[in-house]
Amino acid sequence: MSGVMLQSCGSCGRVWQFRRGGCPQCGSTAVREVTASGGGTVWSVTQVMRAPLPELDLPGGYAIALVTLDEGPRVMCRAETGLVIGQRVTVGLGADGLPLARTS
Amino acid sequence: MAFLTGVAATAFGKYSGSDAPSLMETAARAAIADAGLPLEAVDGLVCGYATTFPHLMTATVMVERLGLTPRHAHQAAVGGATGVVGLLLARHLIAAGACRHVLVLGGENRLTGQSRDDAVKTLAGVGHPVHEVPLGASVPAYYALVAARHLHETGASERDLAELAVLMRRHAAAHPGAQLTKPISVDDVMASKPVATPLKLLDCCPISDGAAAVVVSAEPGQGASIRLAGWGEAHTHQHVSEMPDDLGLGARIAANQAFAGAGRSAADMRLLGLYDSFTPTLAIFLEALGFAPPGRAGAMAREGLFGRDGRFPLNLHGGLLSYGHPGVAGFLAHVVEVIRQMRGEAGDRQVAGPPPLAYCHADGGVFSSHAGFVLERTA
Repeated sequence: MSGVMLQSCGSCGRVWQFRRGGCPQCGSTAVREVTASGGGTVWSVTQVMRAPLPELDLPGGYAIALVTLDEGPRVMCRAETGLVIGQRVTVGLGADGLPLARTS
Repeated sequence: MAFLTGVAATAFGKYSGSDAPSLMETAARAAIADAGLPLEAVDGLVCGYATTFPHLMTATVMVERLGLTPRHAHQAAVGGATGVVGLLLARHLIAAGACRHVLVLGGENRLTGQSRDDAVKTLAGVGHPVHEVPLGASVPAYYALVAARHLHETGASERDLAELAVLMRRHAAAHPGAQLTKPISVDDVMASKPVATPLKLLDCCPISDGAAAVVVSAEPGQGASIRLAGWGEAHTHQHVSEMPDDLGLGARIAANQAFAGAGRSAADMRLLGLYDSFTPTLAIFLEALGFAPPGRAGAMAREGLFGRDGRFPLNLHGGLLSYGHPGVAGFLAHVVEVIRQMRGEAGDRQVAGPPPLAYCHADGGVFSSHAGFVLERTA
């Protein structure tokens, strides 16, 4: 399991990431916590060369990806450098506790 | 019925020693004078926020400063769309009979009032506090993710996006109030410092000081009569993680509502004022709203379609990308230019035969809040 937490609707089956009290699709409040399997596909990716915080401003920058998980939701992750849109990845938690997308 | 009767924008750029209320005051007094109104005639105020002046009640600060006695005043905040939403609110207040002359106001010293790092950090806060901001994401990074997806889906290139920056710079060169006027080429854009791939520095708007204001009235006022003929809004998400797969969805919903309300189509428009925080913002709008086929916005800019003599003249003051971007005033400056062009008051930049129909559109957040309207010159 990936360690990336999601929520799932007990009524319509929709799965999402951002914590809510009800389903954004059908409104049901039968919400369950689930852990993402970790499989996903890169929806988009960028190499950030100018960080919003000075402590993150590293030479060469760092990659951020939006990954569409196999369960359905799109989640934002740190990413290995060099990923491309459409690529299969595994999302897990990195050493810093942040989600990280890597080639499987 | 609502009419845009008064407009004003300060020059945008670097004004050390300014502050948000003083910049807003300058624009507000000029717009009210442009409408030919005494101050006491202004009975409504929709005021934008200012990141350098995070007062809880900016609208009443400006009521007090200007000496207004409005029947309605409040501070609005929908990011870059605040100015447009403010104009639509003004129209609704007038239609409801609550007000007759509503001032829509924005301005701040976003460039000199804080460090560049603080500005970037403040804006990054539109991201999700748990799932986006801690990753080191920023507003350019959010737009870069959308830009990369747009290029992937349409087959357009980074050079195509660069054409839009080149065009905005060419337009800004004709306006004395623009912040950036030095001509640039596609090669210059491509060679500029990478910010967040695929965006380079020249794909991004500058941070500016400045202010702009528009008066919306129940009657035409002096000079040309310019009517707010149709409007639309769409709010589809806040965070880029939850953006619809269809990148242009919110823009299209808002615009279609505006065109339908005005009984017009995109093809009827003769002038455009479109939000251009980054080059892909413009590309996605132009393509979603029907002014260019998918992936072709840059190519059509290169072919002259969006130039002063083109089919759809676009942001003739230089847009956010070159006139500048001080926050809420950024898009109000687009509206100011559109009105001046429709009145035939744009001097050397004037489009031939003042355009009778224009479309204005902005987004706030990351394509999150969309608002657009059709303007029609009726006399």
